[in-house]
Amino acid sequence: MSPILVGPLTVAGISTVLALIIAVLDKALNNYGDVEISINGGEKKLEVKGGSPLLSTLAAENIFVPSACGGRGTCGACKCKVISDVGPHLPTELPFMSPDEIAHNVRLSCQVKVRKNIEIELPRELFSIKKYKTHVEKIRPVTHDIKEVLFALDSGEIDFVSGQYVQLVVPPYGDIRESTQRAYSMSSKPSDKKHVELLIRLVPGGIATTWVHKFLKEGDAVELVGPFGEFRVHDTPAAMICVAGGSGMAPFKSIFYNLYETSAFPEKDIWYFFGARTSKDMFYLEELRELQAKWPRFHLVAALSEPSPEENWAGDTGLITDVLDRYLQTVIPKNDKGWEGYLCGSPGMINACINVMKKNGITEDKIYYDKFA
Amino acid sequence: MKQSPADKQAFERMAPGIITAAGFLGFDERSPDRIIAEDERAFEELGLDFNTVADRLEELAHKGEAGLGEPITVGELLVQSGDARGMLPCPWEDGFFHKNAVSVSPADTPLEACVEGEDMLIYSELSIHMLRAHHFCQGRGSPFRLEPTLLKQLLF
Amino acid sequence: MIDAPSVGLLSLFLASILTSNVLLANFLGTCSFISISKDFKSSMGLGVAVTLVIGITAAVCWAVLYFIIQPLGIEYLSFIIFIIVIAGVVQMLEMIIDRFSPALYLALGIFLPLITVNCAVLGVILFMQIRKYNFPQAVIFGFGSGAGWWLAIMLLASIRKKLDSNNAIPAGLKGTGITLITIGFMAMAFVGSSGMIAVQ
Repeated sequence: MSPILVGPLTVAGISTVLALIIAVLDKALNNYGDVEISINGGEKKLEVKGGSPLLSTLAAENIFVPSACGGRGTCGACKCKVISDVGPHLPTELPFMSPDEIAHNVRLSCQVKVRKNIEIELPRELFSIKKYKTHVEKIRPVTHDIKEVLFALDSGEIDFVSGQYVQLVVPPYGDIRESTQRAYSMSSKPSDKKHVELLIRLVPGGIATTWVHKFLKEGDAVELVGPFGEFRVHDTPAAMICVAGGSGMAPFKSIFYNLYETSAFPEKDIWYFFGARTSKDMFYLEELRELQAKWPRFHLVAALSEPSPEENWAGDTGLITDVLDRYLQTVIPKNDKGWEGYLCGSPGMINACINVMKKNGITEDKIYYDKFA
Repeated sequence: MKQSPADKQAFERMAPGIITAAGFLGFDERSPDRIIAEDERAFEELGLDFNTVADRLEELAHKGEAGLGEPITVGELLVQSGDARGMLPCPWEDGFFHKNAVSVSPADTPLEACVEGEDMLIYSELSIHMLRAHHFCQGRGSPFRLEPTLLKQLLF
Repeated sequence: MIDAPSVGLLSLFLASILTSNVLLANFLGTCSFISISKDFKSSMGLGVAVTLVIGITAAVCWAVLYFIIQPLGIEYLSFIIFIIVIAGVVQMLEMIIDRFSPALYLALGIFLPLITVNCAVLGVILFMQIRKYNFPQAVIFGFGSGAGWWLAIMLLASIRKKLDSNNAIPAGLKGTGITLITIGFMAMAFVGSSGMIAVQ
């Protein structure tokens, strides 16, 4: 054979053989076969194909562990206790773990790969979480950066307690090639089992909020996973001191209309502190004032921190924490029923409100909140 | 220009969808080390120092927290310190930072009229770290770009 | 078919570890040597990986050299072919490590694929070619050189651990500087054993 051909052909031949061996090896190594996931000591057993992260493996079996980042390892919400030995904690898990969690084998389920039979522990509530196919029924802007989005379930019903949240599945769009999930509290009433309403505020550079504000249209198909969350009204006679800002209004809208509709917990008085900067950033004012007029135990305190003089704002002014402090000291009646705090907003707002509430006699175990971080 | 393996890995992690939705490079075609070199020169010409700018951004973010998630006036600026769930890793893998977005704009311009990167600055704890430790202001077109001229105009 | 040198297998093994240590006598493979020896556990892992790579590629390349390259008369392509084989073997090793020890895979990071361009690997193969070893000798020499590299990195990692806690080192020499000086000392120590068994 001509020497010019021999050389290149040999090189090509050797490369091909190596590539084939690598391909076969890849298949063999990444094929973990069928493995069994045993949950809560055998209460539930799943036969799955190994090789994928625990989070997505469970999701494929319709068990949805909460995740705010869709499995990328940036939110730390998918914690779960893994009883079997799956190796030491990975460097990607450590920033989210407390020493206590590390000692108790709490892992990030999006970072743990299922390679053999494993035993895990999951909180029971997770079993009632489902994935819902919905379509967008209505999108309405309520302020310049907050949209109210109503989703109608394509089939079935959703059962939830006011104060819970769902995870919105954001499909790939624009330059983004992977799907992700983000958590939003539900503002709709539990009695409407065929709809879910969310209040979504545009966050600069945010994957989900950009999608909702710039791409989502009425009629689009959207998947929701839920319900999740422990934030809800507690069955005590204590008065509810609720504070929210911006899209933090969402769970409270659900809670208040639900309480009004069902007359549940009749002994509880409700005080709602809602803060914004100017009246342009305030929303649902009319509806909440209407509610206050027809429901004697509901008191609305809307406060603007920087109203412009032209607005002729007659309500309270100042930072919502200052207004809260003033009302707790002088306006809200103190009686032996006691007070409970309910907060929804950014960690900064929550910490500031906790301080004000503690200062006014509400103990930390009686302050409930859904921290966004 | 040849990049060290650390810089090359950092470059790959700046693409959209890996750490953040839009990535850190916008529509900029330059490599990060060129962006850094040219921004360093711009800073020198404008008389800015990276640590001083980072300090001032931190100061504004801190003052903005008093608004509890809503915009608040700080001097001649409107600052809004928002928060979101999760943490962001630095592309150079030397730290994890709380996800947040602080926007700074002139107080006399309504927020809806502001364009990110042109008359409004948006940054996070990660941006401050990248500015201080890596002199990285992000690529042109990234909503979180810290354009040197805008920094000089708004912060000082 | 080859006139292999008449050196016993045991002597060859000991020689490749001690007297002709690929790293300390021939100064091949120093870049990952310096970087990974900072951490003892990773050094252990990398040492095993390099040993396996050198051993396996020496064997495979011997076969390729004498059954494909020489019969076809394409010695001028031997470098390229050796490098392709090394890259292939390293890729397979990467996948195996990722499967069985993801923590080690993450700890080694970029240095695992960098074994491909580690000159110690190609160096051992070329030595094998020049000295015309037969198959058993090539395999022993390959694994032996790898073991020598492994020994050297373990020694250096232990020394660096001690050096790290020493505050008497001037700031300019801390880290890479003192490491290079230390490697020099180690090389001199190993040269001291060179009279024992000669293989080159």
